[in-house]
Amino acid sequence: MTTTPRFHWWTSIVLLAAGGLLMLIFCGHRTGLAFQARSPADENILRVAYTQDLRPDPHEWTLPFPTYNHFMLSLWEPLVECDPATGQPQPAAAESWDLSTDGLTLTLKLRPDGRWSNGDRVTADDFVRGWHRLLTRNMDIAQTLFFLKNAEAYNQGRIKDPQAVGVQAVDDLTLRIELAQARTNVVAELANPLLVPLHASTEGVLAEAAYYRAPARLHTNGPFRLVAADADGYRMESCAYFHGRSGIRLAGVQFVRADNFWLARLMAAAGVIDLVSPALNPVDRPLPTSRPILSKNELVLAVSSLDFNVTRGPLRDLRVRQALALALNRTETIRQFGQGRLVPAWSWVPGMPGRSGLTLLHEDAAEARRLLAEAGYPGGRGFPVLNMALTIQSKSDSFPPAWTESWFQQLGIRTHISYEPIDLRARRLAAGDYDVLYGTLIATVPDAADMMSGFMWPLEYSNTKWLDKEMLALLTQANSKTGAERLALLEQAERRLMAAVPAVPVTFTRRQALLAADLRGWYEDPLGRQSLKRLWLARTPAPSNATESKL
Amino acid sequence: MIAGGSTTRIAIWRHWRTWLFIWLVATAVLVAVLAWDAWPWFRGEPQATFRYTKLNQWPIEGLWWLLVPMALWLQRNLTMVDRRWPWTLALHGCMAAVVTALFITLAGVRMLVANHLPAEFLPVVLNDLRWMGGWSYTPALIYLLLIFALYAVSFYREWRAGQRLTNELQVANAQLETRLVRASLDALKMQLHPHFLFNTLNSITGLIRKERTREAEDVVAGLGELLRRSLDHRQEAKETLEEGLVFLRRYFDIECIRFQDRLKVEYDIEPKCLRALVPSLVLQPLVENAMKHGISKDANARLLRISAARDGTRLILTVYNDGPPLPKDDATLNNGIGVQNTTARLHMLYGDEARLRLRDQPPRGVRAEVILPFQTNTS
Repeated sequence: MTTTPRFHWWTSIVLLAAGGLLMLIFCGHRTGLAFQARSPADENILRVAYTQDLRPDPHEWTLPFPTYNHFMLSLWEPLVECDPATGQPQPAAAESWDLSTDGLTLTLKLRPDGRWSNGDRVTADDFVRGWHRLLTRNMDIAQTLFFLKNAEAYNQGRIKDPQAVGVQAVDDLTLRIELAQARTNVVAELANPLLVPLHASTEGVLAEAAYYRAPARLHTNGPFRLVAADADGYRMESCAYFHGRSGIRLAGVQFVRADNFWLARLMAAAGVIDLVSPALNPVDRPLPTSRPILSKNELVLAVSSLDFNVTRGPLRDLRVRQALALALNRTETIRQFGQGRLVPAWSWVPGMPGRSGLTLLHEDAAEARRLLAEAGYPGGRGFPVLNMALTIQSKSDSFPPAWTESWFQQLGIRTHISYEPIDLRARRLAAGDYDVLYGTLIATVPDAADMMSGFMWPLEYSNTKWLDKEMLALLTQANSKTGAERLALLEQAERRLMAAVPAVPVTFTRRQALLAADLRGWYEDPLGRQSLKRLWLARTPAPSNATESKL
Repeated sequence: MIAGGSTTRIAIWRHWRTWLFIWLVATAVLVAVLAWDAWPWFRGEPQATFRYTKLNQWPIEGLWWLLVPMALWLQRNLTMVDRRWPWTLALHGCMAAVVTALFITLAGVRMLVANHLPAEFLPVVLNDLRWMGGWSYTPALIYLLLIFALYAVSFYREWRAGQRLTNELQVANAQLETRLVRASLDALKMQLHPHFLFNTLNSITGLIRKERTREAEDVVAGLGELLRRSLDHRQEAKETLEEGLVFLRRYFDIECIRFQDRLKVEYDIEPKCLRALVPSLVLQPLVENAMKHGISKDANARLLRISAARDGTRLILTVYNDGPPLPKDDATLNNGIGVQNTTARLHMLYGDEARLRLRDQPPRGVRAEVILPFQTNTS
């Protein structure tokens, strides 16, 4: 063995230099950096970050993040748009509509100046084509149209003829919709980005992904048209044929791919993008540049809940479910794991335009223990271990263990959380082999009925296996009413739901958006469907060192 | 002719240069693949994006391909058994930190480029990555495990080599001892060749018969001197060349009487070589061989020349006779006991730095050369 090390002096120099260089990089400046000025090519172009996979296919989505909505609603225009202040439907591709007295037939008149990006007229057939295509997709998104007559049967394959589905083109500008059940809020449903029309050529273009090579071949009827597409994003310009083009102040929109939300935040600070929504980052990290960035918050129409299988064991007992609902500590749990982006849910339906949220639940550990003892399980003795079935993707979610730990601490009830592949979990759900589920319900319409509609599903599709005829009646009745009468019926339904506690709402989500200060016209929309055609960029003075971030 | 030393041939696949070459070729191929894949992005083509190049998509663990040779080299040059081992540990610790920092930096650079952030944002990305729990310290663990494994293999191999060397040394020691004893015995035997004694005694008898008593007395006195000197030299490993030449002159005095006027002995000794240290009676076997196989075998042979010269750090002793050439048979040439013992003595005393050469000296004669390091009592 060599007993004298052969370590040359130059090797030490090289190692020291490498270490020094890395130290410089890691300890470099993290604040006060310069941000990029807008290039002439991007003048009056709104640059939006997105982190999920986006394809210009209105019938392909995984998560309805706002960016997805912004993207689709920039290219396509649905029949109606919802007023963000009132939640009421406003004309878009349709200029008027009429709901029959029995609430089962909706007739819409399309605007005669509706055009595709190549100048073709937008016709009722285009909507029929689009909706038929949506119904050929899997049930996760096809269920958006299950309010149509025979839609579910067609999607499930029980009906083969698409003409049997309750949507027809009476003429070029008249669309008739036949509903499976009377629903007074059905018009608001039509604002869903999934329910946009489809040009006759679009299916072929999407199948070939021809929009990469020839973006002009993708014909859309929205305020913007696609002019460029690559793996890093999409560029759109104002569409000359859009009926409302005179009111659009943006020259175009650029959707820029970001790996994740915290990188999107840095891209905003760097001047690469102007809008990040949602921005899933805590606000206590300083931005590295002095670019003025604003933070906007809005309550999301979504609720996270613990769903009980009311057909299993002690969960059949209302007192047990009430005890589990009372033995949670939402505030502390949110403080630990969701500070700034979650708020406690005290009812099923969050506040929304035209309706305030109710407070129908509370937390009381002593009352929970009393109820549990009354049900025959004092201190949790004799209570079987509950099984909570989650997907493997949920493993990083800190909330399920937090909720079950609370049950153990307060009630002595143990819960086994199983993380399983999606297909295995689906089989478990189909077989009803679970006690508790944890998930999030996202509304597609700013309407309380939409958020409670899951409790009207057939038992085989219901997480809770709970079907209350009284609640069903209330919801059905509300679907035939409007205004205050409708709201009152929906409130009764919600109170009944919370009294029965087949599911415990735990959190509502607050969504943060980061905006460049020169972006004007931003408004809150609980569904995250801000229409980019309403935004514009104001000219701002050159940044100075004294300017501080407004976060 | 005997040449000193030998060359150990290493299988090509075990040579480090072979593996270095393979690594360089593979690295060149890898770089070419990555460059070719990212070429549209380098050129700024509209549809090309860094996000979907192999540079961005391939696992970052591929960096180990470039780091492993460095780790091997570092481990090889840093010992763990002498008093510098704390410094070695510290250096490896620093290297582990540098390697980890490299991985994190590379991950940060990929994010930077893929998300169109300016270069000065790299510290921000790296620190935000740490804040998000994105720093992985696994490379440090892998590096230390790799170094530990390399040291373990190295220690094991050296232990095995030490075992083998110990065994070999024990065998070589035994062999050398035997040869030394034999050489000593043979040196004793060859200090005065028995035939020389017999011939000398015959010469004495002849001189007495011819009533050349004076010469007979000189021969007896010279033989006695030689025997005395042989006994004195038996215990000495080395002597000066001058002392060795005194012995030879006595020897030649006797031989000249035997060969009468036929033998002519010449000395060509550089004065500075006289104080050089040489093995005791090293030339005696060569002179006797020259007499036996050269002068005695040819009636026309009469010259025997002893030379000594310094060539830099070497001393070259030469015995030349103008007798018949060497036999063509190498076995006969090299197996003579005088040659063998001289070679053995030279190897024992000088290792590979001394050698004995026998060669013909055209047009006539044979030359025996002893080459050894030039040493004196003061060096």
